[in-house]
This record gives sequence, C-alpha cells and structure tokens, in this order.
Amino acid sequence: MPRSTRRSGSSGTSTPPSSLSSPPSKPLFPTISLRSSSPSSSSNKELSSSYQGSTPTLTARSSLLNVLTRPHHSAPTTSISMENSTNNSSSDEDTNYSDQSTISSYASSIISGTHMIDKTNLTSEDIAKVYENYLEKPFVNTKSTIKHSEFGHCNNPNWRWTSQWNPDEPIHPAEEPRPPYFTLLTTYISYILLIVIGHMRDFFGKRFRPAEYAHLMPQNGYAALNSDFDSFYTRRLKQRLEDCFARPVTGVAGRTIVCYDRASTDENKTFNLTGTTTRALNVSSYNYLGFASSTGGCADAVEACIKKYGVSGAGPRHDASTLDLHVQTENLVARFLGQESAMVVSMGYATNSTTIPALVGKGCLVISDEFNHASIRFGVRLSGASLRSFKHNDVDDLERILRDVISQGQPRTHRPWKKILLIVEGLYSMEGSLVNLPVLIELKKRYKFYLYVDEAHSVGAMGPNGRGVCDYFGVDPREVDILMGTFTKSFGAAGGYIAGSKQIMDRLRLRSHATAYAESVSPPVLTQIIASMGSIMGVAPPLAAPADIIDDRSDTMSIASRPTAYGPAPTYILPPWMKLPLNLLNGTEGRERLRRLAFNSRYLSSGLRKLGFIVYGHRDSPIIPLLIYNPGKMPWFSQLMLDRLGPDRTPVVVVVVAYPATPLITSRVRFCLSASHTKNDIDLILRACDEVGGLLGMKYGKQTMSVEEVISNAEELVAASF
Amino acid sequence: MSGIHTSISTLAATAQPASTEIPAPLIPLLSSLTSLIYTIEHLFNKVPGSPIIVRYIKSSYQDDPWRSVLELFLLAFAIRTVLKGRTRGEGEGKSFIKLTEKEIDELVDDFNPLPLADDPTPADSFTLDTVPTIYGPNGIKVKTSANGKTLLNLATPNWCGFIENDKMKQVAIETLGQYGVGTCGPSGFYGTIDVHQKAEADIASFIGTEASIIYSQAFALVSSAIPAFAKRGDIIVADRGVNFGIHKGLQISRSNIKWYAHGDMKDLERVLQSVERDRKRKGGKLTKKFIVAEGIFENDGMLLDLPKVIELKKKYKYRLILDECQSFGMMGAHGRGITEHFGVPANEVDMILGSLANGLATGGGFCAGSQVVCQHQRINSSASVFSASLPAMLATCGSAAIDILKAQPNLMTSLQSNIALFRQQLSKLEGDSKDALISIPSDPNSGLIHIFLLNPPDSLEEEELILQEIVDECQQTSNLLITRARRLRSQEVFEPEPSLKICISGYMARKDVEAAGRGLKAAIVKVCGNIVNKVDADCWFASWVDY
Ligand SMILES: Cc1ncc(COP(=O)(O)O)c(C=O)c1O
Repeated sequence: MPRSTRRSGSSGTSTPPSSLSSPPSKPLFPTISLRSSSPSSSSNKELSSSYQGSTPTLTARSSLLNVLTRPHHSAPTTSISMENSTNNSSSDEDTNYSDQSTISSYASSIISGTHMIDKTNLTSEDIAKVYENYLEKPFVNTKSTIKHSEFGHCNNPNWRWTSQWNPDEPIHPAEEPRPPYFTLLTTYISYILLIVIGHMRDFFGKRFRPAEYAHLMPQNGYAALNSDFDSFYTRRLKQRLEDCFARPVTGVAGRTIVCYDRASTDENKTFNLTGTTTRALNVSSYNYLGFASSTGGCADAVEACIKKYGVSGAGPRHDASTLDLHVQTENLVARFLGQESAMVVSMGYATNSTTIPALVGKGCLVISDEFNHASIRFGVRLSGASLRSFKHNDVDDLERILRDVISQGQPRTHRPWKKILLIVEGLYSMEGSLVNLPVLIELKKRYKFYLYVDEAHSVGAMGPNGRGVCDYFGVDPREVDILMGTFTKSFGAAGGYIAGSKQIMDRLRLRSHATAYAESVSPPVLTQIIASMGSIMGVAPPLAAPADIIDDRSDTMSIASRPTAYGPAPTYILPPWMKLPLNLLNGTEGRERLRRLAFNSRYLSSGLRKLGFIVYGHRDSPIIPLLIYNPGKMPWFSQLMLDRLGPDRTPVVVVVVAYPATPLITSRVRFCLSASHTKNDIDLILRACDEVGGLLGMKYGKQTMSVEEVISNAEELVAASF
Repeated sequence: MSGIHTSISTLAATAQPASTEIPAPLIPLLSSLTSLIYTIEHLFNKVPGSPIIVRYIKSSYQDDPWRSVLELFLLAFAIRTVLKGRTRGEGEGKSFIKLTEKEIDELVDDFNPLPLADDPTPADSFTLDTVPTIYGPNGIKVKTSANGKTLLNLATPNWCGFIENDKMKQVAIETLGQYGVGTCGPSGFYGTIDVHQKAEADIASFIGTEASIIYSQAFALVSSAIPAFAKRGDIIVADRGVNFGIHKGLQISRSNIKWYAHGDMKDLERVLQSVERDRKRKGGKLTKKFIVAEGIFENDGMLLDLPKVIELKKKYKYRLILDECQSFGMMGAHGRGITEHFGVPANEVDMILGSLANGLATGGGFCAGSQVVCQHQRINSSASVFSASLPAMLATCGSAAIDILKAQPNLMTSLQSNIALFRQQLSKLEGDSKDALISIPSDPNSGLIHIFLLNPPDSLEEEELILQEIVDECQQTSNLLITRARRLRSQEVFEPEPSLKICISGYMARKDVEAAGRGLKAAIVKVCGNIVNKVDADCWFASWVDY
C-alpha cells in the first residue's frame, strides 16, 4: 500500500517513536496493522461495542445546569470520560494503554519526569497545575528561535503525514451526513422563534422607544441609511451572537492568540474591555503553515527589508511603483506553482474582483460554484458576463449546465458564448470540501471551457509539496488556465496572486484594475512571501542555477515529470540581500510544516468523526467544520470553549459561522488547523469538543470511540481510510 | 358591514324558517354550523383591508363573473411563474429550444470559444514595456535599472516623504517583533488587532469624525463601501470626472445614477433639482440619495468646491460620499484633506474615503464617518467582511504618520511651496498665450498634477505616444522619472484624455523641484514644439497601426 510509505517513520506504529521526550503512543489494538485491508472498520466495531454500554447519557440541559451550579474546579464530564476509558482498558488485557493518553503523560512527565504514573492519582487540580503554562512552555526541548506560543514545538516524527490524494478515498462523501430530524425541527423552530420575537420587538420598540430606532427611520427628509428590513438579520439574530465575532486581539495570530476580555451591558450593542487579556489556543486563524510569527528566519528577513525598502508600496504598479522585489516575488510565485508567469496584487479580495472583469465581459459566461467566495461574485458582477451557478461540487449538475449553455448559446440571440469560464475554489473555506479537480480537467477537455481555480485556502495547505490542489491530485498545473490564491493564509503575509501562461498574464497586467489604479504590495509583505514560499520550496545551491534557467522557460510539465517540476527555487530568484537560515534554505523546515499540518488536519477530522460529531469536508482539509445546527448552541459553544470546563482549563478560541455565510440550518464551528499546533494541542481540542459537545448535545452522529481512545489511536486514525 | 356578513345573515335567516321541515336532531348541528360561519366571518372582517377585498370581489362578480374566473387564473399563473423563477437558469426561458442529446453533442463538438486572452497588440506591448521597474527602495531618488543613474521620482505619491521616513521604519520593525506580518484572518474572526483599533481611533480623531474603519486596500475600499449603502432604487448624483474605483462601486450598487458635469456646481444643482422634480411628480417612497465626488480628482487633480457641495447637499437632503484618496495627507494645514483646506467640519461629510497608501505611505484605506456608518460597513461591506485585515505594521505606521503630521505642520508648508515652485516653472507653457502647449486643470494647491496637451493629435494612441516621448526625454536629459497617467482603455466609463501625471513631494529639495520643472518644460517644448519629432512619432504610430 502506498499509504505506509508516506509516513515518515519507515516502520509501522508498533515501534516506539524515536523522539526522546515525547510520550510513546501505543495503539489500543495491537492487531491493527497499517497494511491490513480495512483496519479501522474492524477496530471500530469492537470499539463501539465495548464503548456503548458505558456511554454517559446526559441531556444537554441537565448537564448545562449541572455545570452552572457545580463548584469551579471539579469536572464531571471529563472525569466520566476518563473513568470510562479506564474501565474500558481494565476490561482489556493491556492495562497500560489508558496511561498513554497524552494528557496524563504530559502531566506526569512534568510532575515527576517519568511516564509511569498512574492516572487515577491525578486529580483535576494536578492537571490544572500542569496545564498552567501549557500555551507558553514547550513540552519538548528543541533549539528553535520561534516562540512556542506562536509555533508549537513538536518533534515526534510519527506525528506527520503527507497530504496527497488517495484515489481509494472518495473526494466527496457519497452522501452528506444528516442530523436527526429532531435537530432539524428544533433548528427551524429556533429560527422561527427568533424571527417572530424579533419582529415583535421591532413592532413595539418603534412605538415605545423611537429613539433607539431613529437610525432606521426616515429623518428630516433623509431616508434611513439602513432600512429596518435589511438590517433585521443583523439586529435580531447576529447581535445575539455578537460576542463570538470580532473579538479584539493582540500579538501574533499563531498557535495561540491573546484576546482582550470584554463584557456587554446593553445586550451586545457595545462592548467594554475589562482590561484583562486571555491567551487561548488558536484554531481560528488561517495560519495553515504557521508562518504568522514575530520571530524566526522570515521575520528576520522582513526586518532587513524594512531597513532597506521601508514599508510602502505607495502608488499603483504601472506608475513608478513596481519594485525589483515585485518582479522577484512574481517569478518565485510562478515557479512555486509551476506556471509560466504570475502577478501579485495587494489584497486577496481585490485579486479576484479586479482580474475577473479583465478576463470576461459581455457575451461571456461564467459558471460558478454556488459556494464561491464573495470576492468572486463581486468580480463576476463587475465583469458584466452572464452567470450560472451549479450545485456545490456537483460535477453532474455542472455537466448538465454545460450541455445546456453550450447548446442554447446566449439568451435570446442563441449566439454561441464567446468564452465560458468555470470558477471554482480549491478548498472551500466554509465546507472543508475539495474541488473535484481530476473530473473538471476531464470535463474541460470535452467542453472547452476555461478553468479558474481560487486556491486561497489550498495553496500551501494541500499537496505533498504544498503547491495546492494540483499538487494534491497530481494534476499538471498548466492544465488549469488561471490559478489564483492569497498570501494571507498559508504564507502569513497579505495580498493575492494570479498565475497562468505568459500571454494571459500580460493581458491581465494590462487590463486588471489593480495594476493601473490600486496600490502595489508593500515591500515587507513581499519579503514575507518570498521567505515563506522559498522555505517551502527550498533553495537550490547556487551551482544548480544556470541549468535551471534554461529549462525554466521552456518546459511544460507533465505528471510524469512532476517531482522535478516542483523542484527547489533557484538561488537567483531570491533577492541577493536576503539571508535565510539553513533550515529554511534547504527546505527541511517547510517540509516539516507541510507534514505536520497534514497530520493535524487528518487527525482532528477523523477524531471528531469518531466522537460522533457531524463533520463536513475532506479529511485532508485543514479546515474542519463541525456542525452545530441549533443557533442557540453557537454562543454557548464559543463561550464554553473559551471558559473550558475540563481540568486543563486551557481556553480555545473558535469561529462559529451561521447564516448568511452558511445555509440557514447548518450553522457550524470551523476549526482552522495549523502546522504550528502540536499533537497535544489537537488532543486538547478533541477533549474540549468532547466535553463541550457532549454537554450541548452536539454529537448528532454515532460515537464509536471515546476521546481517550481516539487520542491514543491518533496515528491509526490518520493512516486508516474511512 | 361587509357583503359577506349580509349574505350569510340572510342565509341564516332563511335557514330558520326551514327548520320546521328539518328533523329535530339536525337543528343543533345547523345552529352550531351557523355560529362557526359567524365566527369565521367575524375573524375575516377583523383582518385589515378585508372589506375592500370583499367589496371588490362582490362588485366584480356582479359586473362580470368571467372576470373573476380570469383573475383567478392569472393569480395561479403568477404564483406558478414566481415559483418557477426560483429554479434558476436563464436558458429555460421562452427561447429555450429543446434538443436531442445527439444534437447537443454536436453543438458541444462545434463549440469554439475565443481564446481566454487575445494576442497583445503592439499598443499593449508598448504600454507594458514602458512600465519602469525600480531597483532598490522607492522614494524621492530612485534607480530604474540595477546600475543605472539616479532619477528624481515625480511619479510616486509621497507628499511628505513618508516613504523614506526612518521613524516609520523603526515603528514597523517594532510592530514586526510583536505582531509578525500577516493577520491571517478577516476582522470578524480574530483579525481585529488592537493596533487596528488604535489606527481607526487615530484617523477619526485626526480628521474629526466620530469613527473610522480601515480596509486592506484603498481601491477595494472605494468600490465596496459605496454599494454597502447605495442599493437598487437609490439615487446617486456623481461627478463625471470620478475615478475608476468609484465607477466600479457605482456599477455594483445598481442605483439610479445621474451625472453632473465635472466640477460644475451649477450643473450639480440642476441635476439635484431635476431629481427633486421627478420625485415630486412620481411621488413614491423616500429613497436614499447620495452625492459622490472626489476631493482632489485622481484623473486631473482638480479640487472639489466642498463648501458649495455641502450647501447643496443640505438643501436637497443628500448624503455626501467624498473620496479623499488623493487629498488626504496632501491638502490642508496638517494634511487632513480638503475639509481642513476649506475649514469645513469633517462631520458634515457623511463618508470620507481615504488612502493610507497614497497619503501616509503605508497601505490600505479607511472610511471615516459617524459610528453608524462605520459599524454598518463592518457587517455589510463585502471587502471588509470577506478579506483579511490590514497587516499590523501598516496600521501602526499609519498611526505614526498621523502623529508626525499633527506635530509638524511645516511638512505641509514645504509641500505647498514645492508645488508652487514647480507650477511656476511650467506657467509659461500654460494659458492663452501664443506659445502655450499644455493645460493643467489641477488645483494650484494640489500635489497631484496632470498635464494635458493643448493641441493633441487626432487619436488617443498618438497622444499617448507623444506623452511617452516626453517621459523618455525627461528621463534621458534631466534625470526625472515621470509617468503617463495609466488608463484602462475600453474599460473606462468616460475615457479620460491622456495626460502626464506628476506627484510633487514636500521632501524634495527646492533646487531639485526647480530643476525638475525646468527639465519637464524643456522636454515638453522639445517634443511638442518640434515638428520633425512629431512626424517621426506619426510614422512610428502608423507603422504599428498597420501591423
Ligand atoms: C476563496 C477566497 N478567495 C479570496 C479571499 C480573499 O483573500 P484576502 O483575505 O487575502 O483578501 C478569501 C478570503 O477569505 C477566500 O476565502
């Protein structure tokens, strides 16, 4: 099986990991081998049968009351699950397994320096004490200049994975997981109640407290800036969740983030900062590769750049604001993506909204996925092209539409379309689903449309070389006409890029609104892009440069030549003044980050599924949406993750999203994982979700493993295909 | 009482005498039935407007029973169309032609789309080839090749020399050490950093508005903030000379757009009056009305007559959206923009859009206005909601630049004296005199100066060629870097005339400015005054038109 070769340790998991200080994690079921044909399914059956007997059936409400009335430090939910797994393993022959869970081993290794401490002796106070400095103090010792709070130190080579398409695993689940009807019903009722109550409040409010509605009413001859109808959703639904959004933060949005605590006395209309801050584990930022950092090689390069170039990109590119640094960045980006040419824009949103009008216009048709990002929709509207959208990721629907539009031609005149542009995203930021690229490439050959892939979230985050979905699926990037992406996510910078053939790029340089009228990218941001991208690629030793230059221009890549095509960056592409440390230059750091991210994503996604949550998206996706459904649970989930009931009391900040960003009923919490998270962090998130999700009754699916089982089986879960 | 009531009461009345013939056990049933009908009728009558419906149905039935049937049909049809309209797809309209699978296959085979990008024309290549690349840092003195000569940069907005300001570099490095570079998230999702909030407060207090909101790019700000407020059915009265970003914003808003002649306040009033008349005539709901204009117009450097606009806006009850992307950091005693220049309180303008990239040499843009206006954008402005927030260092540098502007009003005075000095050099070529070659509509206080040819050749392309020749001449003989104003020909709503775009900086030495003015003048005289050269250009142009 190719799977096993993708793990960094050459042997299976039964050998203890070679790292010195991290706890060995043995499988719960030693019989599982990676090479067995269906490892997880058999183990799951066993697990579920042994587990279900002891499942604590707490209703959300009673446990909520329980939590609210109980003294501060005890933690019934977690202790239940711990007992549970202890019971479980004691019934098993091998009693040691429960001790392998990282929470106890993390605690024990700090308390006594040994792994052999009995967990039952650990009270929640002990655990809390151990976790006191969890977010700042590294568990393993590495010689890294990067702060643990920004980028977690984790050197266990078994906790790595390679993000690559496995044709045996479906790109999309055959059918979407569905919640019980009861949940759907209560969700709908919640919304109906919210709407009815909202309208009632508006009705009476306008009559009895007109002052508060003044800005919604016409006033001395001015129409209201914002009608009460348009703002109904914001005022009556979103305001109830207001505390979950736009929390002010400070510092780097890395592995952890520092939030300002705030409170509201007027029903979330305004917030007052309380003056204190909370450092929390950050699973909300799009920091996929952990390049958001205030220290380390990239930051040093940026500092050198500021000294040399200053901070400003000043005017538009086509006036005199194209720096050599812009050209260098564009060459590197093209090289990184395996495209001929690239162009950078100072804002990711504007990259879409200013280039799409330059590509299509009247008489052209844009076919767009229904869940495409707002910037794409904005761009299409500006372009004046006709628009059809197809059901999210549904290639059959797409083909139906293609046949329809090509055979019918333009409306009324039936003239053939000038060109048809299909716009999709590589990885959907609200769904965690991947585009079905191989099929799109097939369809493209048949239907002769042009393909535009927005890789805002997938570039850097997907593929064995981090080059995005093309890399992930093993598709030649030059089969895609336009690759778009942003630097705000994986690269910890800002802005976006467009890449494609030289001819198309030249066209865009002339016609894109951004080159003529928008500010150029600022030099420190460019440096961050070069440094982070260069360290993912690795930089070839100087001697290799001349050969590279020659075949750089001419080669078109094929899948067979892919490994060489995604080779290191030639030295001459980097600015001569830029000094990068060795681990960035030789690409080891970049590779390590890609593999850590891949492991983390797959681990959390699989783990949550095993815990009985409904999780959308592909398991390789670093975006993991966990379905909440009931709008009432959203603020609770967000708040409880921050307050944390479990003994470790480590706050976690999460993003909850609801209508209109998602369909009305499928409100969700979205985890964005990062290479900067350690396995311990993911364990912690799993525990937190288990505890809070259990409390709020969010396990809509069937739970097949307890949380401690999931944690001790992390590597098997990641390796298994299900 | 309505018609149904009376008809039912007669029904009930006739039911009573008939009851003698009806078997006794049925009587309670009948009476309960009548009371049920009564209550339903009563409830129906309580619905506001019900008498009208009843009267309408009754009278129409009396007049023409067929009409009622027809109307029923129409209603059913309307409902059907509405429901069907939901199923999307324009192809399924009237002109939909049913085809067999085989025919579709053939059509698919025959489909032959245009290439995604057409081949570049010589004019395109010419445009691309004339974009200079700056080697090393941008600023007052730049190089356009690795080992080339140093040029005085008159092409980059750098009003106060903030690009090379050491204080700002230091602030940026400090910010880097604390915040890194990217924010990795939109402002709604943990992307609101304290430095953003500080920058917003600084901008608001500097300009004198209640609040402000920052965006990560000024162009996107302009094109997204306008449609966040102006919707379909609203009225926008805009200056014909507004910049491209505003045009895009207007386009997205789908509002009802009325243009007034560029800079013409009489015409503005005329348009406002005609809108008012229209509204009076048609009646209808009160809609939002906006005036959109620029402080210093990006396309020609002209200044808006703000006091007059404010007066008109108040008189006709419009809201003013003022784009100060050029004038912020350039006009006024401290660089607060044209509100300061005219002494108009900033809170009389409903929305001030500004650029941090042009004005303060950092990056991003802002919208300043009332709390309600800014809060609205945080939720409803697409480019603010769906985009990562501004990198922290650009925000802190913005705050730092504002502090500098507040503390050093001499920055603005030296900018103004440089502008005056430069304009003085060119004044001989302007105006009505016999040997006038150029016209400069730009305001005498504007650091952004557009130079138009007085006697342009017939086509835009030719004109661009001549202007490029002036640019090249300046670079070769006087070591000046200037640029033609770059346009998106064929995408502009009103094609602006070709022009040269000059940005003066207060940071330039006086003798440099003087030399620059002289150099440019010489170049203009040489290129435009020289007929031989012009013929040359014509030939060249002809050669690539033929191509
Ligand atoms: C698919 C997609 N495209 C574009 C963008 C915009 O990128 P930026 O945040 O850099 O403006 C985003 C960001 O959220 C995105 O998800």
